[in-house]
Amino acid sequence: MVAVCVVLGAVVALLAVLVAGLLRSHADILKALHDLGAGVGDPLDGSGHQGHAGVHGAGSRPAPVTFTMGPPLPPDRDASSAPAIAGVTPTGDALAVSPAGSSGFTLLAFLSTGCASCAGFWDAFRRPADLGLPMGARLVVVTKGPDREIPGEVAALAGPGLSVVMSSDAWTDYEVPGSPFFVLIDGDAGRRIGEGVANHFDQVAELVRRADIDATAFGAGTRADRTVAMDGPERESDNDSVLRQAGILPGDPSLYPTSLEDLYGPPDARMPLSRTGLGQAS
Amino acid sequence: MAQLRAHGIRAHLPTGFEGRIFRHNAEGPERSHAVAHFATFALPTEVGDFGGGAVTLMRDTDIFAVLFEYGPESLGTPLFAHEGIPKELSPEHFAPHVLRRGLKGQAGTQWFFTENGRPFTLYIVLGSYARRRALVSVVNRLLAQLAVEVSVQPAPAGPGWN
Repeated sequence: MVAVCVVLGAVVALLAVLVAGLLRSHADILKALHDLGAGVGDPLDGSGHQGHAGVHGAGSRPAPVTFTMGPPLPPDRDASSAPAIAGVTPTGDALAVSPAGSSGFTLLAFLSTGCASCAGFWDAFRRPADLGLPMGARLVVVTKGPDREIPGEVAALAGPGLSVVMSSDAWTDYEVPGSPFFVLIDGDAGRRIGEGVANHFDQVAELVRRADIDATAFGAGTRADRTVAMDGPERESDNDSVLRQAGILPGDPSLYPTSLEDLYGPPDARMPLSRTGLGQAS
Repeated sequence: MAQLRAHGIRAHLPTGFEGRIFRHNAEGPERSHAVAHFATFALPTEVGDFGGGAVTLMRDTDIFAVLFEYGPESLGTPLFAHEGIPKELSPEHFAPHVLRRGLKGQAGTQWFFTENGRPFTLYIVLGSYARRRALVSVVNRLLAQLAVEVSVQPAPAGPGWN
């Protein structure tokens, strides 16, 4: 009995030391964060427990911390811009593509030679007739430049007639997180309309087809051109007309959403999205 | 501004232009020479040297330009006597009858010249003859950014391919 009590006492003492160590470590972390300006409490409330222990004194306040992902974009670009892509082909020719300057859709497929999940796409692109892309939509494969990829390997994977540009800059310009990655550009609108990842090309082709149907049904390009030129009552009247044509009349409940479900439907019915548009790999 | 460089041709493409600089595969002792295509529309994968398969896709506001290199046997001939790429074209240089393939409404111009010891022809198609004044200024922006370097190819061992 005595031995058990001694052992239990030793265990309790050991745990007490560990807890004390953890609390001390936690306090050190909080103090370090506070010194960096990321203290606990309302940053606008100087009377709370903010600033009384920091090295900057009672008047110090947390500084905003800016997080950026990847290199900053040039000031003339944003997340929907579609800059030109210039590089070399696997055979050593030079190629530049300007998706935002051409009419119709351009689908950029950012692929690598080494990624296992890219293999299915390389294989699918060998049969362009079976891809199921809408008429007029063009496919351009973008790999990293010859500094990161071996042109011979890219050439071996690329089927005949496939447009392939090797350009590391393009991966930076389009903020590509990894391969495979797809970006859909509406040349008439001059901007990116979707981007993301997918397991199979069928998923990508289906979303391109939907975008094409939307553009055809609603005249995306022409409508955009038209509404840019309109303003005020004229634009409001045009919007009303489009809504009426779609069967949405004044007082329609869809005009007054009260929850996310009203806008996007039940959570289980929503399409899996990655970033702004295309389906996400699972 | 996209930059292209291959086979001794350099181009800084104005906004909206696409481009391709390539050489045909040579067989045996034959040599192939550089061809460059520039367009303000989506260049198809397969385009004839002088725009076959591409000019039919042009809109009124489009431009298609070809820089086509000939073999060294053309050097010194009267046809290629002009030195340097034409850099400043005017609307009067474009005419419908210059087109290799006459398409309604379009207009073209063609120039032969030698630059850095390499004989070339420059062939340009405008999508609309009626809009030539506006389009020529865009053409000149492209031409201002084109450069031909000295050829680094070995001496020809046989007949030219182009």
